[in-house]
Order: sequence, then structure tokens, then C-alpha cells
Amino acid sequence: MASIGLLAKEAADRELLGLMLGELGYSAEGSARLEEALESARERRTRAFLLVDGGGADAESLTRELIRAFPLMPIVVALKTRDASRAVALMRVGAIEVVAPPWTPEELKASVSKGLRFQGTALTVASAAPLSRSPVWYALAVGLFLAAGLGVASLKRADANRAAAAARVDRWELPVRHPAGLAFDGKSLWLVEWFTQSFYSLSPEDTAIQVVRHLTAETPVAAAFTTEAMWTVSADGTVIRRMRDDKMTPLTRYPKAAPNSAGLAFDGLYLWTLDARAKVLRKHLVDRELSVLSTHKWTGVKAAGLVFDGRTLWSLDAAERRLNRHHLARPEDVIEGVPLPEYAEGGFLPAGVAWDGARFWTVGSAADGKGPARLVRHKEGAR
Amino acid sequence: MRAPFLVPALLRFPGFAARQDAWGRLLKITAGGGELSTSAKLVTGEFVLVDFELGGERLVIRSRVHHAYDDDDGGRVAELRWADMVERRRLVRALLDVLSRA
Repeated sequence: MASIGLLAKEAADRELLGLMLGELGYSAEGSARLEEALESARERRTRAFLLVDGGGADAESLTRELIRAFPLMPIVVALKTRDASRAVALMRVGAIEVVAPPWTPEELKASVSKGLRFQGTALTVASAAPLSRSPVWYALAVGLFLAAGLGVASLKRADANRAAAAARVDRWELPVRHPAGLAFDGKSLWLVEWFTQSFYSLSPEDTAIQVVRHLTAETPVAAAFTTEAMWTVSADGTVIRRMRDDKMTPLTRYPKAAPNSAGLAFDGLYLWTLDARAKVLRKHLVDRELSVLSTHKWTGVKAAGLVFDGRTLWSLDAAERRLNRHHLARPEDVIEGVPLPEYAEGGFLPAGVAWDGARFWTVGSAADGKGPARLVRHKEGAR
Repeated sequence: MRAPFLVPALLRFPGFAARQDAWGRLLKITAGGGELSTSAKLVTGEFVLVDFELGGERLVIRSRVHHAYDDDDGGRVAELRWADMVERRRLVRALLDVLSRA
């Protein structure tokens, strides 16, 4: 139990403060005069002093005397009259704490415990006032941290996606050298090769060759599929409607119905052919003669393919290396042009185009005619 | 650096606050603000005039209570931000003088 020296002129003050200190767990030794207090402090190893200012006692001079005798002793002054300036003056002469009236055990406890504990003012120029963070600040900080974490995760994910996209193969070298056209039957890609007079069925997953069909009597240059038939066109302009069986059994022949054909497309009702030399698009009625219903000027440079994507016709211009979208009612009008950057290097010339329901595929032949053909799967945004 | 004592401060409030003067001890003094231990019930956001001496220089600085809380002893600890730029410059000079002598 810490001993506190109590110096008060009036007995009532000594009694009251002594009781309060006792309540707080301190041993209080009351004195009316300075000499008694000093004597008591020497005998009882007092830890601190509590002085009363007023009622005939001047705490300022008493504080000075006590500090002279016990320089390291904490001194708490209890004012009988509240006076802030007086309190500050007392602290300046050495009082560690000043208690304002009315005295309460709580005030006394705070003052005495502070007096026993306090060191000195920390002085520094560099830092600002210590920051005190409100809950909102912490919430914002946590939010910011989480947002930053999510941002980093998103960036990493985007990087991973880019890496995956870069790693994805969209070009394949084919074991043929003279592609003439490309078509899609709903499951597989069909490559038309004029030199070997063959059709190659390719898997759209890995472009592995599934089926090869040789046509010894004709030189195919383009093909198109409907739900029940396969249409092909030969170099001499003969259009043939075939069964979709293993032998590609011919059903109907239309001699010289599509001369100089660069592409063939079926829009669900009419058959369309693209004449590369005359640079015209022809719309055919699927009748006995494959009658030409209308002819439309094609404004490209070098026709290489024709395809219907379910909505409009697209033609492939090998010289411009781009796909042209045609208005179905007015096919001479090109309503959109999609460049094909995959052919920008100039090493390959596009020779055929197909639509798999989601993306365009093209096949290109080596510009020098010696290397293997290349199959390209174009980006989804190309449409 | 730590002073050998706690700097006493007289606290005065604006007239409209209708509050009696109070006093306290500055636990910390920096160029930007200070930390005050007092029995006065200071609240966050209020302004108080802090009157104290440092290095023989008397400073009366208008301050804003940035944050205040009750300490373990039942007293009040307030973090102050000096709001008077002129007095703040004087304080910095006094601080530099005190620290240069330490």
C-alpha cells in the first residue's frame, strides 16, 4: 500500500481527503504544517504528496519547499476554489496534478495515479500530431486494401487469360498445298483441294483429317452444305448436288452453271455463286436448270470465297485480304469490311472461307505455291 | 526527446461554448499538434485555446480536437491539431530551440 503525505491546514479537509485516499487503497498521513509533513515523509517513505491550496495555506510555496526537500516526489494539489490560472501556476512550480473542487474519489484517483506514473512531455518537430484513426478510416483502409487485392487478382487473371490466349493455337499448317475452298457441314470443316481433286474433312478441334474423298472425274473449287445435300462446283463451272453420304453420291449436275467460280453459298432458299473473272454474284433458284434469278456486281479485287453466316453473305477478297459483308437484298452493296491481319505478312493468300456458327475460318495457300497451306481460325470479334 | 516534466497548459474555450477555463498537461508536442491529458471533457471537433510555455516562450495556440477519449484513470486524453499557423511557426521555432539545446 503506497503511502501518501497529506498536507492540509484544516482538519476537515484532512479528514475528507484521508478517507478518499483510504478508499482508493492508499495509506494517508495527514499533517497541518510543512514541518510535520516533511518529518512524516522521511519516516514513512512517502510516495507522493497531496496538498490543499486555500483555507490559509499557499500550495505554491509549499510545493516549492517540498520539491526542495524531495525533488523527485510527485505533488498533487487539491484546490478549494476552482481557478484555472492558479492551477497552471501551481503546475509550473512543480505540482504534477491539480484537482478542482468538488473533490471526488475518482478525480483523486486519476490525479494520484497519473502523478505516480507520468514521465515528461515528448518533444519532436518532425511528426505531426499522433493520428487517431476513426472506425470509418479503418473501414476505408480495409476496403482500399481489398480493392487493391482484387485489382491485383484481376490483373493477374487478365495476364493469365492473355497468356492462355497467346498459347492457344489458331493457325495450323495443312498437309496440302493447293486449297481452293472451305466449307462447314455443322460438325466438320471441309477443305477443297483442286490439285489432288480431293475433299478433306477436318476436325475443328485440332484440324486432324477425318475423311478424304478423291473425285477423279472433276476438279472441285468450292463447296457448300445444306441440311440435306452437299453442293460442289468444279473448275469447268459444273455445279453438282450430292448426297451427304460417304461416297458423296451425285444427285444432280448443272453443267456450266457457275463458270469461274470462286465461292458457293446457300442462304436457305437460294444458291449463290461468285464469278471471279466476271466479278459478279449470281443468285440461283434451285430448280432443274439452277436458273439465275439475278446478277450483282462484285466490287472486290480478287474473289476467293463466299459464305452465308445465317444472316448475310460474306465474300473473301484475296488481294485486299479482307472479308466483305454484303446486303442480302442488294448484294452489290458492301456494308462492312473486316480485315484479316493473319494474312498481313504476305506469306499466304486466302483461298477459302467458312463459318462454323461462331467464327470465321479461312484457308490460305503459300504465296510462292510451294509450302503447305495454312488454316486460320479467326477471332470471335471478326464478324 | 522527452522533457523532465509535463508541460502544463491552460485551456480556454470560445465564448459561445460557455465553458469554464480548464487545465491539463501536454504529453506530447509536435510541430503539427499535441497530446493533452486533462480532466476537462473535450470532444472531437471542438476548438480550444491552448496556453502554455515552451523554452521560455509563451504560446497561445488555437487548436482543434482531432480525437478525444477517456484514459484508464478516468481522465481525458485529447489529440490536438494546431489551427493557428502564425503561432504554429512560433512553436516550431521554440521546439527547434529546445531540441537544439538538448
